[in-house]
Amino acid sequence: MPTHAGTPLIEARDLTRVYRRPRSSLTRQGEAVHALREVSLTVRRGERFGIVGESGSGKSTLLRLLCALDQPTSGSIRFDGQEITGRPERALKFLRHSLQIVFQDPMSSLDPRMRVRDLVAEPLVALGEPVGGRVGELLDAVGLPASAADRYPHQFSGGQRQRIAIARALAPRPQVLVADEPVSALDVSVRGQILNLLADLVDELGLTLVFVSHDLSVVRHVCESVAVMNDGSIVETGPVDEVWAAPQHAYTRTLLQAVPTLEGLL
Amino acid sequence: MLSVDGLTVRADAVELVREVSFDIAPGERVGLIGESGSGKSLTALSLMGLLPEGVRASGTARLGGRDLVGVPEGRIKDLRGREVSMVFQEPMTALNPLMRVGAQVAEVMTLHGRPRAEARTRAVELLDRVRLPRPAQLARSYPHQLSGGQRQRVMLAIALANEPGLLICDEPTTALDVTVQKQMLELIAEVAPALLFITHDLAVVASVCERVLVMYGGRVVESGPIREVFTRPRHRYTEGLLAASKLTPRGTRLPTIKGSVPAAGRFPEGCVFSNRCPHATQRCETEPELTGEGHAHACWHPAD
Amino acid sequence: MRGRVNAGLIAGAVLVGIVVLAALVSFVWTPHDPTLVDAANKLREPGGGYLLGADKFGRDTFSQLMVGARTTLYVGIVAVGIAALIGTPLGMIAGMTPRGWLSELIMRVNDLVFAFPALLLAVMLGAVYGAGTLTAMIAIGVATVPAFARVARAATMQVMVTDYILAARAAGRRRAAIAVRHVLPNIGSMLIVQASVSFAIAILAEAALSFLGFGTRPPIPSWGRMLQESQELLFSTPRLALWPGLAIALAVLGFNLLGDGLRDYLDPKLRRIRAER
Repeated sequence: MPTHAGTPLIEARDLTRVYRRPRSSLTRQGEAVHALREVSLTVRRGERFGIVGESGSGKSTLLRLLCALDQPTSGSIRFDGQEITGRPERALKFLRHSLQIVFQDPMSSLDPRMRVRDLVAEPLVALGEPVGGRVGELLDAVGLPASAADRYPHQFSGGQRQRIAIARALAPRPQVLVADEPVSALDVSVRGQILNLLADLVDELGLTLVFVSHDLSVVRHVCESVAVMNDGSIVETGPVDEVWAAPQHAYTRTLLQAVPTLEGLL
Repeated sequence: MLSVDGLTVRADAVELVREVSFDIAPGERVGLIGESGSGKSLTALSLMGLLPEGVRASGTARLGGRDLVGVPEGRIKDLRGREVSMVFQEPMTALNPLMRVGAQVAEVMTLHGRPRAEARTRAVELLDRVRLPRPAQLARSYPHQLSGGQRQRVMLAIALANEPGLLICDEPTTALDVTVQKQMLELIAEVAPALLFITHDLAVVASVCERVLVMYGGRVVESGPIREVFTRPRHRYTEGLLAASKLTPRGTRLPTIKGSVPAAGRFPEGCVFSNRCPHATQRCETEPELTGEGHAHACWHPAD
Repeated sequence: MRGRVNAGLIAGAVLVGIVVLAALVSFVWTPHDPTLVDAANKLREPGGGYLLGADKFGRDTFSQLMVGARTTLYVGIVAVGIAALIGTPLGMIAGMTPRGWLSELIMRVNDLVFAFPALLLAVMLGAVYGAGTLTAMIAIGVATVPAFARVARAATMQVMVTDYILAARAAGRRRAAIAVRHVLPNIGSMLIVQASVSFAIAILAEAALSFLGFGTRPPIPSWGRMLQESQELLFSTPRLALWPGLAIALAVLGFNLLGDGLRDYLDPKLRRIRAER
């Protein structure tokens, strides 16, 4: 909230997550895979924080940990001063209330057998809050007609489905919105609409945004700060304009050079 | 070399691709760009004779004097892989997980009548040609032991095995990481005899192709040399798409195209873009022809 | 968005429909009392009010078949009901915690029961608690539990890795709510298919048990016992074995076709091809 702007909201310290491959021998344990190695980051209240990395960089693992959908092997995450690691689901109500997620593929993140009304209301129902006229309000806020409530996800286009997913995420009036590649499954002609919508909502509602993407140029448009991940570690972090203009780490430079841009080619 | 004329693809009563015509000269690299539902993939699949059940193509497509559309499966099977071959988007599912990759490359050659031993040695050469490290060793590995980028290179080696006249790539790098994508694109541009490159990504097409066809709603709405089309777009859809793909600085609003791509069969009559176009008038209810030499467009109210 | 209705589905639905109709009508009307022993009509040839003739006790075959359909459906419904009610939740629990000890325990006990033939179980239960329709149904039901548990577990594991389950967790849904609201509706079609296939197996098992004398007791008509009673007359009056045999075969075929048809109809992968990605 504006009064506390700038105070740390999410503080992750030395997060490590090790997965074990299924054992392939009787005598030896399965091989250990380090998905995340001692990652630390701080997201401040009201900040738009980007996480950039390719597949296997650990960005998805980090995201799951920040949302308490997975437990770290070691390390701690404090949300608004409260430790969220090692807690059972029922002790995470405050987090579910304050932090909501928009997933990458709106085709697969919306249960195909539920109506939009129930999908949007689900976080409220789960938290035991009254639904009332909130579904209509939310659909309106993301630019969908109230009649959308009675239809099923497959009756909408990709962009509209992502609007439904955003409406759902906003239902419990969260402080933090985590967006996991929210536009990478969308057509270019609707990508702008969704990014504009996100920017508007973040402004109007004073949200803190954690935005995960493989595309540094999208992150530059959306975020102020960025953390670049590679092979389970954050290799570079800072204000996005600085990272963009003068990348310090070799990997960031490779990443920047690899992305084809129209401006560069024509 | 490839000459497509009036290609139309339908599923029952729904027209999914309408009257698409274009040529590709030997050595030319042509991009086909479009969003979901544009009909770009169906165009490619109909050239390969790989349309899904219940979907039929009409019109003509000739490659080196041979018909590709409307010929019986037996005949097109002969051409597929030998005259024209294709690399698909998903490198994970396109390879047989139980077969060594070298054998899979060799198989497409023995299928078309090459002796086994010769096919084996040539498979290793091909793996080398797509710049896979230590090809002789790599030929003996299984698909799951390779990375996504390596698998896609194996797919390219398979596609090139019988020295086809035309290579079709359908979003070959969409599933790959950007750092891998760049090398893959350079490789495709280098080895393709003649290329039809299908993608939704304007920047990718600009880095590989010389000429581009822009598809929307099953039609080619604009075509021409890439530099010209992308710097001076004439069709309002191309214009909107180019504007939408440039990311402006933070805090500014991104230019957008209103509405969303309609579902197949729900595009408006006349100009397919008219319901989303800011310049649409009454006139757009009749279908505009694709007109212009070199840089052509199908729009009643073109830009500039 | 639904798949096309295929010929198998229609054929299966028609066959099952006939069995259901016969069973329902038999409650209010049969041509003759199916249990009436009448020496005058002993081995009566078809005709004159006796559509399919009468058996060695003078009972009308057609009426017996109609009432036998009731027994068949009754056994099928109860057996499949038991299997579904026990197997589905067990399978879902195992599928939602695939690495937990509970899941391991459920699946190993499952394997144990699976290794036990339904008929053997029924014969044993019959020996202990007395043979009868109820014992047969329970035995068949229990023996079918593993089939349901396996299908439910496999289907649940597929659903659990989808993004919408992750989304539901992120929304703060508890396990139980996820199971009921998200998993069950999405594995429903697989369970329906399994139910119709199990139904066919249950019909066969009941017929076999009645044939062996461990199933439905006289005088309640049952297709399996009709077969058994006709075996000594197989060469002199083959029609007595033919009709119940045909009824069993067609009912089993009907439920199998229905299961296969539903699988194609409900499977999203086989649904009408979307024009393009």
